[in-house]
Amino acid sequence: MQSQEEVSAMEICECGQKSVADAIKIFQNSSLPYKKAKKLVTECNKTCCRTALMRVYDMSLYGRIDYEEIAFLIEQRKERLKYLGGDDVAE
Amino acid sequence: MLQNNWESLRQWLLGLEAIGEEIQTPTQISRLDLSNKGLNELSESIFLLQNLLVLNLSGNNLTTLPHAIKNLQKLTNLDIRRNRFESLPEDLAFLPLRSLNASGNRLKNGVVLEQCSGLRVLDLSNNLLDEKSLVFGMHEDLRSVNLSNNCIKDAAPFLKSLSCVERLNLASNVLKTLPHAIANITRLRELDLCDNAIESLDAALFSLPLERLDLSANLLKNLDFFGCNELEELILDENTLASLSFAEDFAPNLRRFSCESCNLKTFPLPPSRMLEYLCASYNHIASLPHEIGIYTELVELDLEANEIETLPDALANLQKLKTIYIKSNRLQKSAKKVLSVLHPEICDIYMKSGIEIGAASEADIEQAARLLAVLFAIESDFSIDFTKQFAGLSLLFHEPHADILVAKYGDEVVGMVTMQRLVSSAEGGYVGQLEDLVVKEEFRKMGLGSRLLNRIRALACEKGYKRIALGADVANENALAFYTRRGFRRTKLNIYHYFP
Repeated sequence: MQSQEEVSAMEICECGQKSVADAIKIFQNSSLPYKKAKKLVTECNKTCCRTALMRVYDMSLYGRIDYEEIAFLIEQRKERLKYLGGDDVAE
Repeated sequence: MLQNNWESLRQWLLGLEAIGEEIQTPTQISRLDLSNKGLNELSESIFLLQNLLVLNLSGNNLTTLPHAIKNLQKLTNLDIRRNRFESLPEDLAFLPLRSLNASGNRLKNGVVLEQCSGLRVLDLSNNLLDEKSLVFGMHEDLRSVNLSNNCIKDAAPFLKSLSCVERLNLASNVLKTLPHAIANITRLRELDLCDNAIESLDAALFSLPLERLDLSANLLKNLDFFGCNELEELILDENTLASLSFAEDFAPNLRRFSCESCNLKTFPLPPSRMLEYLCASYNHIASLPHEIGIYTELVELDLEANEIETLPDALANLQKLKTIYIKSNRLQKSAKKVLSVLHPEICDIYMKSGIEIGAASEADIEQAARLLAVLFAIESDFSIDFTKQFAGLSLLFHEPHADILVAKYGDEVVGMVTMQRLVSSAEGGYVGQLEDLVVKEEFRKMGLGSRLLNRIRALACEKGYKRIALGADVANENALAFYTRRGFRRTKLNIYHYFP
């Protein structure tokens, strides 16, 4: 199991090169709906990090951050990409 | 680990704090929460729990279930999400399951589903399943299926088996087409196809009784919508469309429509007069047609990042419009005048950026005390007295277990909130007493109150507070609605004051 500090430092969005900690800070400093707030993190219109980022947004809104779940979702996305041969055609 | 009798099973469950001392017989247990216990395996003695209806095994390290589980002939709800299963255990076929959540495993095999005929709700999201590994039987009771975040390239092989499903989530797979077999799902009300690689839609889709359809982040090019009599929400975001059209009879009850980042050059006009939310942001739209005036029910309009220069007077028809996002356009003065007349509650071009939220410094206390006058002017139980409010906040500032957060625009304090630590006998621990949440009039409708609340809640979580409480003036309807929207529950308590 990873520590809170390790999960905070994990990269959640490759496009915006933002860590989990960056994303939490951005969401906590925003009152925008997800659709707008996510652009502050990703700086793009892609959906690569959608699953994990949406969870971080919900968690930030209600103040209780489940770092274990965030790490799980990030790792799972990597595993899925690996399984698909690194070619996520849906991105 | 093996447990061969009830007493050892009981001791094991007590050790995991999954049951209380009052449980004396296995038949007393109908619900069992063994989530996040670090389990690598489950006791074979689990079969003793003959009355078990609900079993939560989520967040462990399980790769399989004991064969004895098939003896739990009352088990209807099983949660095995976030474990390490690579295939669904075959013994599931013998259980009377109504709900199965196996999300977040490493499933590559779901063949056993063919025999789980009583399922009503099925969540297999976040796995490694493809169309070859998903074999459904004829599930007449199945209503909700979540297959998002898997590796499904073609849904045709299993769609025909899902004929009774009402909610189907196929988001974040690798689908390239939506097969004609979708027409078999004649009761489908919600369909999520977001984040696939779909290039075209089968016309059969438009004959379904869909209420919600998400097609965002695909590779759709030409869309001609018709039918969809029941549709209330349509999301097309992030498709690079070459054309988009709506037949006159399309979705008369559509309430939410979004086509963000769709490469549109003209403003889309779905025929529904019921639209409440319309988003066409991040396109190349140069003008807003007068027909926008037909959407008299519109509450939120998102036109951010287009090429709009002027706004039609017909916008004045939108009497219910509360929110408009329109920054990053080429608005001329006349357009800004239309906006000022329209005067929506929230408009992004009036929002100020650069407002920072942080812990108050001692130098901020004077401004914060003056800001409280805004709050006390509304709350009839309190009177405005700068000397008292300055003294109170100064005391709070030096309290070791109190927090004062301020929102600052440059050097100006434009919002604030405070929280003090109390001990709650009801909760058996520390709780936070939240007070003094206020935002300056000219900085409202920018989400500052929400930001302050989010930050103070995060602080409360960091400090391990078991609850946050606050009081609000019963006559302050805005505040009451604000706290309710943000998850606070109104209690039956009244607050009494006594001055010794």
